[in-house]
Amino acid sequence: MYSYIARRLAFGALTVVGVSIMVFVIMRILPGDPLVAIFGPEGLTKLTEEQRANYMADLGLSDPLWVQYLRWIKDIVEGNFGRSFFRSESVADMILRRGPLTAEIALISVVLSWLVGIPVAIISALKPNTVADSVARFASILFLAVPGFWIGMLIVLALLFWFGYRAPMAGVGFLTDPAANLQIVIGPAIVLGLGQAAYIARMGRSSLLEVIREDYVRTARAKGLNNRLVIALHALPNALLPVITLSGVLLGLVLAGSIPVERAFGTPGLGYSMFQAVSERDVFVMQNLVFLYAVVFVVLNIVVDVTIALLDPRIRLR
Amino acid sequence: MTATVSDPTLPAPPSRLRGVGRGIATFFRRAPLSGFWGVIAALIVAMAVAAPLIAPYPPLKSDFRAMQKPPGEAHWFGTDQIGRDTLSRVMYGAQSSLTVALGAVLFGTTVGALWGLACGYFGGRFDMASQRVIEFLQSFPDLILAMAIAMALGGGMGTVIVAIAITRIPFGGRVIRSVVLSLKEMQYVEAARGIGASHRRLMFRHILPQCVAPYLILATTHLGVAIVIEASLGFLGVGIPPPTPTWGNMLADSLNAGLVPPWWLVFFPGAAITLTVLAFNLLGDGIRDLLDPRLRGSV
Repeated sequence: MYSYIARRLAFGALTVVGVSIMVFVIMRILPGDPLVAIFGPEGLTKLTEEQRANYMADLGLSDPLWVQYLRWIKDIVEGNFGRSFFRSESVADMILRRGPLTAEIALISVVLSWLVGIPVAIISALKPNTVADSVARFASILFLAVPGFWIGMLIVLALLFWFGYRAPMAGVGFLTDPAANLQIVIGPAIVLGLGQAAYIARMGRSSLLEVIREDYVRTARAKGLNNRLVIALHALPNALLPVITLSGVLLGLVLAGSIPVERAFGTPGLGYSMFQAVSERDVFVMQNLVFLYAVVFVVLNIVVDVTIALLDPRIRLR
Repeated sequence: MTATVSDPTLPAPPSRLRGVGRGIATFFRRAPLSGFWGVIAALIVAMAVAAPLIAPYPPLKSDFRAMQKPPGEAHWFGTDQIGRDTLSRVMYGAQSSLTVALGAVLFGTTVGALWGLACGYFGGRFDMASQRVIEFLQSFPDLILAMAIAMALGGGMGTVIVAIAITRIPFGGRVIRSVVLSLKEMQYVEAARGIGASHRRLMFRHILPQCVAPYLILATTHLGVAIVIEASLGFLGVGIPPPTPTWGNMLADSLNAGLVPPWWLVFFPGAAITLTVLAFNLLGDGIRDLLDPRLRGSV
């Protein structure tokens, strides 16, 4: 078990290094000239040679690339993610201020996806090809197709139109003002949660259908155990293992999906910062946020893998 | 198409076309629902291609006498804040959205498939290194990777296609690699190797044709995802730059139409995205069931 965790962590560390190189290559090398990204192709032609050189030196962009890369890594290790081109706030402060809101949204959405997805999967799998099953399958197919941010826009619009209501714009922590905080968080969390619930219901249904046909489930029934207990105690735990793995994969959907969804709701979270960074062509902020999101994704998937290993002796004892 | 010992007096040429026709007929019989959605998908593609002919107005022409008009006789889907016809823009939006999605999926899946073919066939260090790179690529949530690349490369249809294509590469690479790994051990491949076939011949004549079915399944199942990513990029302002109408751009644009955006500017482009993704997803499911009998019934 410990060797499994150690191996997983070692691979994770390697991945984080690889990811940092990849982010650096994408954000710094691909465009050729970061000044184009900042000023736009037209703005660049208006700068004199000297101005360009000054900007480059100012931003530390005239050093060799490997020096820039190492400086960036040093910054990250020191917990200082550099600063934005356009805002006085440092990226680290931005993450600390806005990150919790997005984390809250992600957490609630995952819980919600389980609360909705699993019961739907159970109903579907226990009564396959009935009306309830058809409705559930249609709903999940529909939710797989609907873009979350569009649902978000429609919700915002409907609330404004009929109730003249808009969620508070200022970010508030749950501890300082729970009511305002929940009003901000609940919309994005529902939208993202339902999107995941569709995948979970689909996966849970097929996984449960498979497990129900297993010999040990038939044995449990044959010894006269109540059907509910058979499902709850024998079938469900095994059927849920692939769903947990799926939930880890879906975290990518939540992390990325929260960007357009937060824009749709006007949520003052980290996803909104990402949208701002992208629309302002703020390369440094983008570079750090992309790296942060990727690292969070990698770490959460390690957590999921280790959880699975703890729950499943077939993996633990390998 | 097994028992076609046809009458030699009949002309043979249209057999290939007939094969395709029969394939489609089989598809409809086996999966009527997917067939229905396949027709919807075909209609959407036809609408995109024929947009210049059937759109009631030019997509960029603003009519200042009809600004922000709700749906009505003259403008079925209403007009936006500068008087552009929403229906026409949705039709033209299909053009850019579908071009990007098709281009990105074909490009990304093909690159991934060839990479996977090379990895599976040659194995060894090259495979090891490639698997790490693919793992790194998959450590990014799709949309975030596409956003970063699209932003770094600057706006334009080509860059959006490349950005989305890169997020599709790992899937093609992984799936085709595993297919090739199992094919490589097959006896017919061994036999071909035994009679001295070159690497190139083995890869392209003996192994690649067997990868066509998984390739098609991958490509169709990823079309829907590609459309959603394209729309999200447009919505976040890193897609095809405005004023070119894309569904994502239109949704982003609607947020600039006042404090309470008119519902028709939000509803129709999003409904177009949903309908298209739904059609492609269900068509993809049908194609997968048809091409891969082992998967039938699961999921």
